[in-house]
Amino acid sequence: MTTNAQPLVHSVAGDVLAAELRRIGVTHVVTVPDTMQRTLTAALEAQGDPVLVPVCTEDEAMGVNAGLYATGHRPMLLIQNTGFYASLNTMRGIALDAQIPTFIFVGDFGRDPTKPISESPARVRFTAPTLKAWGIPYYRLDGPDDVSALDGAFAQAYERRGPVVVIIGAATA
Amino acid sequence: MQRRDALDVLARHRGGAVSIATMQTVHHWHDAGQADEFNLDATGCMGSASSIGLGLAMGRPDRKVLVLDGDGSLLMQLGTLVTIASIAPPNLYHVVFVNGLYESTGNQPIPGQGMVDFCGIARSSGYPAAHRFDDLAALDDALPGILDAPGPALIELTIDRDGSGPRWPRVPMAGQVQALRAALAGQE
Repeated sequence: MTTNAQPLVHSVAGDVLAAELRRIGVTHVVTVPDTMQRTLTAALEAQGDPVLVPVCTEDEAMGVNAGLYATGHRPMLLIQNTGFYASLNTMRGIALDAQIPTFIFVGDFGRDPTKPISESPARVRFTAPTLKAWGIPYYRLDGPDDVSALDGAFAQAYERRGPVVVIIGAATA
Repeated sequence: MQRRDALDVLARHRGGAVSIATMQTVHHWHDAGQADEFNLDATGCMGSASSIGLGLAMGRPDRKVLVLDGDGSLLMQLGTLVTIASIAPPNLYHVVFVNGLYESTGNQPIPGQGMVDFCGIARSSGYPAAHRFDDLAALDDALPGILDAPGPALIELTIDRDGSGPRWPRVPMAGQVQALRAALAGQE
C-alpha cells in the first residue's frame, strides 16, 4: 500500500470497495458513520451483502463484532478516526485481551489529501502513531492500487485474532 | 431480593440460552453451574455485555441469548438500548441487576442512584417489553412467560446491596469465545 509520502490524487469508488468486501468474505459491516466513507456506506446499503449494521457508538461496534464472530460470521467495522480514539479501551478489552478478530476501516476524517499528514489536525496526525504504539498492524487505502491488499489484511485479523486497521486516507468516490 | 437468589432463578429457567455475564454477576453464575461452553464472561470490557449479546443474537437467531448486565455497566454504553431496539432481535433477553452501586470498584454510588428508570429508558428506546421485579417469587413465576415471548425484552431486577466485596472467577474471555464458537458450530 502507499507510503503516504506524496499527496493523494485518487480515491476509490464506494461500489468497488463494497464489491471487494463481499468478494473477500466479509459478512457484516458494523458501523458508526464516517465522513470519508459516505459512498462506501451507501454502496453497502444498496448492495445488501455484507449486511450493514448501524450502531450508536464504536464501543458497541466492537461488541457486536465479537458476538457475530463467536457465531461463525466474519464481520468488520467501518468507523472514523474520532470514534476510533473513543473506543480504544473497548478495543483493548475485546480485540486485544479477548483476542477477537477485529478488522477496521478507519476514515482519517480531517485529512486534506493534497497536504502532508504533518500539516493535518491532531486526529489525523495521531492515527498511525497510536496504532504503532498499540502494536496494531495497519495499512493505508489511498487509491485504487491499494484495494488488492484488503484480502490479506482481512485474513491477518483472523489469523492473529486481533485488530487490523485500514486507514482510509481519501474520501471514497 | 439477593442477586445470588435471582441468578439461581435465571439459571433454572435458562434452558439452552447462550449467556453473557458481566461484572459481579459472573462469580455466582459460575457457582450456579452456568459457566458451560455456551456462556461468556464479559470481563475486562465493562459496558460491552449487551452489545456482545446483540451480535450473538443476530448471528444465531435460532438460539435465545441471555445478557446478565449491571446498572453501572449499562450506563457506560446506554446507547446500546437504542441499537438493540432498532435491530430488535426477538431472541435477546437483557437482564439488568440494579443496586445503585459500582461494586467492583468499592461500592461507589452510580450517577442517578435511586432515580434511573431502566425499564422506562428501554421502553422509550423502543424495547417492546420491559419488566421490573423486586420479589423473587414474582420473578420465578413470570420468567418462563417472558422467555417464551419474543424479545428484545429488558428485565430489571432490584437487588439488595450485599457488601461482600468484588469477586472474579478469572476465566479468560479469549478461551471462552473459542469454546463458544466451536460449540455453536457443532449445533448448526
